[in-house]
Amino acid sequence: MATTAKNMKGFYKQTKNKITGGISKSKPSSSRKVSPKHAATQGSDAAQPAALISHGSVDLNDDYNKEEEMLRQFDMNIAYGPCLGMTRLDRWERALRLEMNPPKEIERLLKTGKVQQDCLWQDEAEALYKHSRAIESHNLVSSSHPGLLC
Amino acid sequence: MEIDSEKIQQRKLSDYNNLQDERFEIQKEMYRGQQYSQIYFARLHLMRTLLYSLAPTWKPHLPVCKVLGLEEGKECIIVGTLFKHMKLKPCVLDEYSKERSVTPLVKPHNFMHPDDHLILEDESGRVKLAGSALSPAIYVTGVVVALHGKETSAGEFFVEDVLEAGLPPQIERPFELKENKYVVLLSGLSIGSSLANPLQFQLLVDHITGHLGDEKEAAQIVHVVIAGNSVEFPRKLISGQNLASKDQSTLYEPIKELDIMLNQIAAGVSVDIMPGLNDPANFALPQQPLNRCLFPGSAPYNTFRSCTNPHSFDVDNIRFLGTSGQNIDDLDKYSEAKSKLDFVERTLRWRHLAPTAPNTLGCYPFTDRDPFLIETCPHVYFVGNQDKFDNRLIKGPEGQLVRLICIPKFCETGIAVAVNLRNLECHTISFSIQLS
Repeated sequence: MATTAKNMKGFYKQTKNKITGGISKSKPSSSRKVSPKHAATQGSDAAQPAALISHGSVDLNDDYNKEEEMLRQFDMNIAYGPCLGMTRLDRWERALRLEMNPPKEIERLLKTGKVQQDCLWQDEAEALYKHSRAIESHNLVSSSHPGLLC
Repeated sequence: MEIDSEKIQQRKLSDYNNLQDERFEIQKEMYRGQQYSQIYFARLHLMRTLLYSLAPTWKPHLPVCKVLGLEEGKECIIVGTLFKHMKLKPCVLDEYSKERSVTPLVKPHNFMHPDDHLILEDESGRVKLAGSALSPAIYVTGVVVALHGKETSAGEFFVEDVLEAGLPPQIERPFELKENKYVVLLSGLSIGSSLANPLQFQLLVDHITGHLGDEKEAAQIVHVVIAGNSVEFPRKLISGQNLASKDQSTLYEPIKELDIMLNQIAAGVSVDIMPGLNDPANFALPQQPLNRCLFPGSAPYNTFRSCTNPHSFDVDNIRFLGTSGQNIDDLDKYSEAKSKLDFVERTLRWRHLAPTAPNTLGCYPFTDRDPFLIETCPHVYFVGNQDKFDNRLIKGPEGQLVRLICIPKFCETGIAVAVNLRNLECHTISFSIQLS
């Protein structure tokens, strides 16, 4: 079945899925659509990156508002460096420290807490990271690890 | 019993601080899955701001543009990070490729090849570099430079001139100190290895603490720095199998011995110990201080300091900066020079301690800064664990004066280096034991 443009958008935009446990992050959880998974089910999901599992409905209107658009422009602006691996606020603060004069609007928005604290692709990146850690831990169990300190 | 009536020598005093080391500590850093693009971005941004400020004095009439803004035939200056494409550089993908014709089975010490070429990269794009002004043999991936040239019809950037950041500004050295005060630098003790002779190290310790009879000289030593590779663990024991208790104590022997010796030194003079490649510290730079629990005898002394690698400290307002050698050894694998000091000098002129990190040298993925950027010029810049002792005094355009020192491995040469704070001169202290 051919994917329509609408479906493609849905494919890329997934509702955020938070797997409890693993890396702890200092983010207000109230700002995210969370469907927390019980630790018991984590094993089966760890085998597949979250990118391949689409959760929830295609919400075109909710996130896609003016504020999110402004934040996305901030994410995509190369002048401020890569957006992956940092929260938007951290990236804004870095831009401030490096004297790039980032717009104060963004800081205000991010501190209200009603917007996504991470850039769009952060979750996919994290899911891949957790996925690779799961594979790694499998390998550690099955083979001897020669490192003295690791 | 009559006490020796000779005057007891007092060790000279000096001020010490290592506030600069804070930037090498990673306790406050949190890993959030970031990649190395962040540290490269921080490096490029900070260096580019610097180079933009130097460009007008270098070539005032030329415009500065980004890589994407290059036009054919237009002479301009571009600033970016160098990337050296190396044929022989070990690549993890080689393990998966069917043909292995290019990668030799025996790992060469140096991965250079005549076909290596340089590429300049900034956030907008990359461009291949042509011309002989920039030699791929000297430069490595990760150096940020400004280039003057123009784009050719072949789509390459023909380089006419290069601008490196140059020596950073230096705090003025305090005016002539009246007396000679020495800082002793040593590295590569490798206690526990078959090369290390415990008697040699004991002689050094006795010399520093004044027990060899030369108290006058020893009293002039105000600080000791041990730059890495102080222990060597028996490799055959580290195989991933559970250790029997007998093996466990054998594994711990080198550290115990080191602690005993450090205890003797710390009792008399302030000593810093830096981790090296073989020490029980983390692998990636900046290496964190060796845990104080490893030194139960020495840790209680306030003269004992466990420091990071790289390590920066001030003694009597003379700034020292040094590493345990990994940065220079990595440069040796990916570029060439007539002597190791050339590598050391280059890192200073590029204002970056370890330009090959994180490309080929393990590094922590910092997000908002690059701690290896050299912001103030040290007065003494030392590198440990080298093959032989070497030193050079270099002068900068703004009156900077730096003593570059390659500290040889003590287990192989029995040589330690003493630097005179009064005039930045250095000499060796060597111990040899010949049993005839």
